[in-house]
Amino acid sequence: MTARGFLRHETILALLVLVALFVLDRQSDRFLTVDNLFNQGRLMTEVGLIAIVMTFVIVTGGIDLSVGSILGMTAILIGVFWKNMGLPLPAAIGMGLVVGAFAGFVNGVIITRFKVPPLIATLGTLALYRGIAEGVSEARSVRGYPEWFFVLGQGELWGAPTQLWIFAAVAIVAAVVLAYTTFGRTTYAVGSNEVAARFSGLGVDGAKIAIYSASGLAAAIAAAIFVSRVSTTRSDMGTGIELDAITAVVLGGTSIFGGRGTIIGTLLGLVLIQSLKNGLSLAGVKSDGTVVLIGAVLILTILISNLVHRDATR
Amino acid sequence: MLRPSLAAMAVLCLSTGLATAQSAWTGGDDLPTNPLACDGTPATPVSVDYDGGEPTNPPDRAGKAITVVDVPKLIGVGYFDATSKGIAEATAELGNMTATTDGPVEANIDDQITVIDNYITKGVDGILFAANDSVAIAPVLKKALEAGINVVGYDANAEPDARQWFVNQAEFNGVAKSLVDALAAEIGGEGAFAIVTSTFTTPNQARWISEMAAYASACHPNLTWLETVEAQEDNILSFNQANTLINKYGDELKGILGMTSIATPAAADAVTQAGQCGGIAVVGLATPNAMKPYVESDCVKSVVLWNPVDLGYAAAQVLRATADGTLKPGDTSVQAGKLGELQVINGSEILLGAPFVFTKDNIADFDF
Repeated sequence: MTARGFLRHETILALLVLVALFVLDRQSDRFLTVDNLFNQGRLMTEVGLIAIVMTFVIVTGGIDLSVGSILGMTAILIGVFWKNMGLPLPAAIGMGLVVGAFAGFVNGVIITRFKVPPLIATLGTLALYRGIAEGVSEARSVRGYPEWFFVLGQGELWGAPTQLWIFAAVAIVAAVVLAYTTFGRTTYAVGSNEVAARFSGLGVDGAKIAIYSASGLAAAIAAAIFVSRVSTTRSDMGTGIELDAITAVVLGGTSIFGGRGTIIGTLLGLVLIQSLKNGLSLAGVKSDGTVVLIGAVLILTILISNLVHRDATR
Repeated sequence: MLRPSLAAMAVLCLSTGLATAQSAWTGGDDLPTNPLACDGTPATPVSVDYDGGEPTNPPDRAGKAITVVDVPKLIGVGYFDATSKGIAEATAELGNMTATTDGPVEANIDDQITVIDNYITKGVDGILFAANDSVAIAPVLKKALEAGINVVGYDANAEPDARQWFVNQAEFNGVAKSLVDALAAEIGGEGAFAIVTSTFTTPNQARWISEMAAYASACHPNLTWLETVEAQEDNILSFNQANTLINKYGDELKGILGMTSIATPAAADAVTQAGQCGGIAVVGLATPNAMKPYVESDCVKSVVLWNPVDLGYAAAQVLRATADGTLKPGDTSVQAGKLGELQVINGSEILLGAPFVFTKDNIADFDF
């Protein structure tokens, strides 16, 4: 491993995670326990699923602010399809996933076909999808789901929380796709230099539409897990989750200007934020203090990384 | 001799209430009403079996020092600062209980769940909560009960089996009685009034209006209801609606009842601007901060709500009693320190008491 390779952002971040785990472990003997770690994994899954696909979005130089609203809209629709339209629950979830992917597809089409900057396009659909969620729900929540459905969000499978298996599968597939496939290299190419990518004959628009659709689908899967975890649906579900996901991605070393970033980095970012949230709380820091500390850690990490990479990246 | 006559009166009150509920005032609902007795005699509680949950194998906490966390809907707002203050008062008085308040910075169901989850892992003896969503919070509270933690709610309830007790700040018929009594006292027991509500179908407001109609017809028959107007919990619309009422009815209008914390100050503003202070009474549900200017200028005499400091105090006392085992399923009342004996209602709820009336004398003590 060369010196530069060693000083990659991910390596710095991994060291930081280890330091954080060590320090937090000294603060509370209930932090590094299997129960607590699995429980934190359970709480992290929804943001995690969204953050993994968000990595692709940000690597292309884009952003998707509408994921929280897609989560809310899909959650409500699963409830409405099941309760008001009388569909069996698996079919309702299936249709919810289709709607989520379609909502992402619409984002992709607006961005590629009409050349609207992703920030503006998804800011618009953030309001649009949340509005639909609130309109459909009429401020009422859907509850009374069957017991078997709660296995997804509250139960365990092979000794670990059910949703962690889904999260692990998505993470592995995404890591492989981004690092080792043509599609992954196209994603980096689009983010590094979109014009050059187009002239190289790459399917830029197709890749973007696929990525935004996947982002919508990830939000929809997160919605199903969320509904199962809290056993009810509300139109305000997922409010602000886009910012948590983007924070993890950026902390993970993905450049907001595109062209750089890895799934490993995002996973490390997720783990660092979640352990800080949980560990600080166990150490007796209140939630308002935790929010401040996470903001400080984000800025600090980016600063350190920029200092180390001043020569490497410019 | 006394008993049969009381019973007869109760039946009379109930029957007149039921008979007029459907037709009475616009904006009410069709559910049966249960007006309180005119003189404030507490209604005999209908005995309902305990429907709360039970912690699994809790350690013996009787008389021992316990650590409690209070998780309100959100932190940093006046209302929940006031409930925390009440909890602190109770712990200071009890001496064998420490409580910290921690909660989400926004009223977000998921953040609240995470906060509670972390405290379960950390290990506390008791959890006090005000739920952002009664169903969504249930799984994590059940987890707390399974961990042997005592769980008591206040302000906003969870599913009954996810907590042990819930301190209920006010019942619909209690709020209705306080509002109508205050109105009647201010306009001299006789005269016409109108109501400004959010919408005719908003559940809580509809319930209060039905209960008010039932109570007024039984206890203040000389009050004349004119109409109910909708104002959508919108500031400007509330002001305009109140203004229209003043112009439409002129001298006939003696009072306005505001059913939301937006409508009441807006109505007070409309009456002030119309120069009708003293001529038209404004009574309603509202938070003290919004009403201070009108109460201090004597335009509004009484604002009805509950006392959040007492609510927090009662919640802490109930949690202590639960941990000590002095409040058990099936009990009909609980001793809550300076508040005295509080009634158990609806199976596993504890009623804080009659709503609190803010007046010129006490409104300055509240900041929310």
